[in-house]
Amino acid sequence: MFYLFDGSENGFLTAFLLAFQDKNARISSKSAQLLLGQEPVFVRTDDDRAQRAKARLLSFDNGCHKDLNALLRCGREDNEQVAFEYLRFLAQKKRPVRGMLAEPAVYRAVEYIKKVGLEIHHFHGFIRFIECESGALYAPFEPDNDICDLLVPHFRARLPAFPFVLHDVKRKKAAVYDGANAFLAPLEKAEIMISADESAWQGLWKKYYSAVNIPSRERLKQMRGYMPARYWKYMPERS
Amino acid sequence: MFDFLFVPLYNIDMITQEKLTILTESAKYDVSCSSSGSARKNAGGVGNGYIAGCCHSFTPDGRCVSLLKILLSNDCVYDCKYCPNRVSADVPRATATPDEICELTMDFYKRNYIEGLFLSSAVTKNPDFTMEQLLLVVKKLRTEYGFHGYIHLKGIPKADPALNRSAALYADRMSYNVELPTEKSLKLLAPQKSKESLLLPMKTLTRERAQFVEEKRKKQVSGHFLPAGQTTQMIVGATPEADGQILRLTQALYRKMQLKRVYYSSYVPVVQDSLLPDKCTGQLREHRLYQADWLLRFYGFSVEEIVTEGENLALEYDPKCAWALKNMHLFPVEINRASLEELLRVPGIGGRSAQKIIQARAYTTLTFESLVKMRVALKRAKHFITCNGKFFGAKNETAVRGLLISAENGENAVQENLFSLLPDTGAVSEKKILFSDRQNALSALTGEL
Repeated sequence: MFYLFDGSENGFLTAFLLAFQDKNARISSKSAQLLLGQEPVFVRTDDDRAQRAKARLLSFDNGCHKDLNALLRCGREDNEQVAFEYLRFLAQKKRPVRGMLAEPAVYRAVEYIKKVGLEIHHFHGFIRFIECESGALYAPFEPDNDICDLLVPHFRARLPAFPFVLHDVKRKKAAVYDGANAFLAPLEKAEIMISADESAWQGLWKKYYSAVNIPSRERLKQMRGYMPARYWKYMPERS
Repeated sequence: MFDFLFVPLYNIDMITQEKLTILTESAKYDVSCSSSGSARKNAGGVGNGYIAGCCHSFTPDGRCVSLLKILLSNDCVYDCKYCPNRVSADVPRATATPDEICELTMDFYKRNYIEGLFLSSAVTKNPDFTMEQLLLVVKKLRTEYGFHGYIHLKGIPKADPALNRSAALYADRMSYNVELPTEKSLKLLAPQKSKESLLLPMKTLTRERAQFVEEKRKKQVSGHFLPAGQTTQMIVGATPEADGQILRLTQALYRKMQLKRVYYSSYVPVVQDSLLPDKCTGQLREHRLYQADWLLRFYGFSVEEIVTEGENLALEYDPKCAWALKNMHLFPVEINRASLEELLRVPGIGGRSAQKIIQARAYTTLTFESLVKMRVALKRAKHFITCNGKFFGAKNETAVRGLLISAENGENAVQENLFSLLPDTGAVSEKKILFSDRQNALSALTGEL
């Protein structure tokens, strides 16, 4: 059966309960995953049942909520299915399964969780702020995974005096830090006034980037491996 | 009456593009770019340390940009034979003001272009004067500009130890470049430097750091003293020292000086001098030295196991493979029983794979299939392991040798380097070098400027 849920965590957990005994269960929040003519089960989110399921899962493995959170943020097509199979395996074993790396349900989940963690680390480096006239910093980017709010603690810790906006352009949402508090907001398109010096600093950065390169040792493949081309759009030195 | 509201439209201390280019071009061959090892906290102002280090960009040469790598000045009074900035060379000169460097660091950092500053300088006037200037910049950056990001400062040999100590209170990491592996080579190529002038400040800082850590533990002092320690760099191939000798020096630097890293830069011939060889050092040799360096630091090897003093590392395969081939009596090891130390000594198995294996086998017996699924690289490892008693490698040692070499050839990054094994590309003829390359090659001779 195909279980279609609303994309929320509680929705997922409700679907998890419904599909638990179904050997051929497919779980997703993306209707595009449906095969032609397939009749899905529309899962109606039940917060109470979801919370009970969560408490039960946490009793087997206290860290599984973090895993689920990362898996639901993962940008892969089948991320919810992978989360389902991982948690079902956990519920069957009734103890932490994270180390059972030879199990398909586990190594797939671990792989996706790692992808999310790695992308957060990447964007600690690849985020490019544009200075606005007000002094606030604005960074548009298009991550593979839904991580914009997870980047906030890092930048807040190092730039506490600067309000900033991390704009996930693809998902049309933004993590905003106003100088005191951080929150998530839907954001389709941002219109900003850049500061007087902004383009001069960007120019210096591009100059620096080309000067620090050693042309006689070109290794483009290596560069792309470390810094995938899909991230370049918002990086002044590459765009 | 509204005078105090006046804000200048342009930043008065913004460095010019020309100056930035000259000072970056002269600094870029310093190999180190790491920003790891410091957990400095933000105490108001801008920035903090990132203990794991963070890469902010990658240049087309495949290197990461983590720190703003720049010279305060390239106007040198020394005349080291191999150095593009030596006093007798005809190159454009520039010197930045401390405020230019500070502004640049702050504005790049704020935009998340960089993780911090890597500041170095040519020796202007004399060592003390140069060190004073460097100290001025880092002090200003920390105290006036409120910068708490990463600072790597290059030490100037023969400068007053008191200046070094002051600088260490502001910088996260300092480095003195050993330059060449022996005193004899130094005398020949860098007559103004001596082994003692390079090693002494390192030793002193190591001792003072240990003392500081002890006093901090007793809460007698606060603050930082080189939280990310010291590193060094040496040129490989300009002088005849063998890898065995270089690695022995490396091991001594790790064990006795507690250095965090030793970097190697392969020599490129450009300066016409009877004292310098006319042959390129292949990048593959540099690569092998780094692999051996990793074995020393993370895999529990000692240099004596890897290579004898007068010997070079094998170029056909990595040093761990070479070691394993000499010690075939220790293999194959059973993947389900081998200790972590034994697993780490299997060619092709790194720290992460070893951990994965240990974790997974606690629950089930691992087969060759499960290793494949767990994405443990087996191209090399399969010749040295058994999985639940079964062996999947080649039958005899000659075949293993051949397969290990072809495994190397299959890997692009290294394949490119294998060309440097060909005899005729070793010598670089004058005509073959384009101007830009020659310029580059000139600067490539050394990271220390």
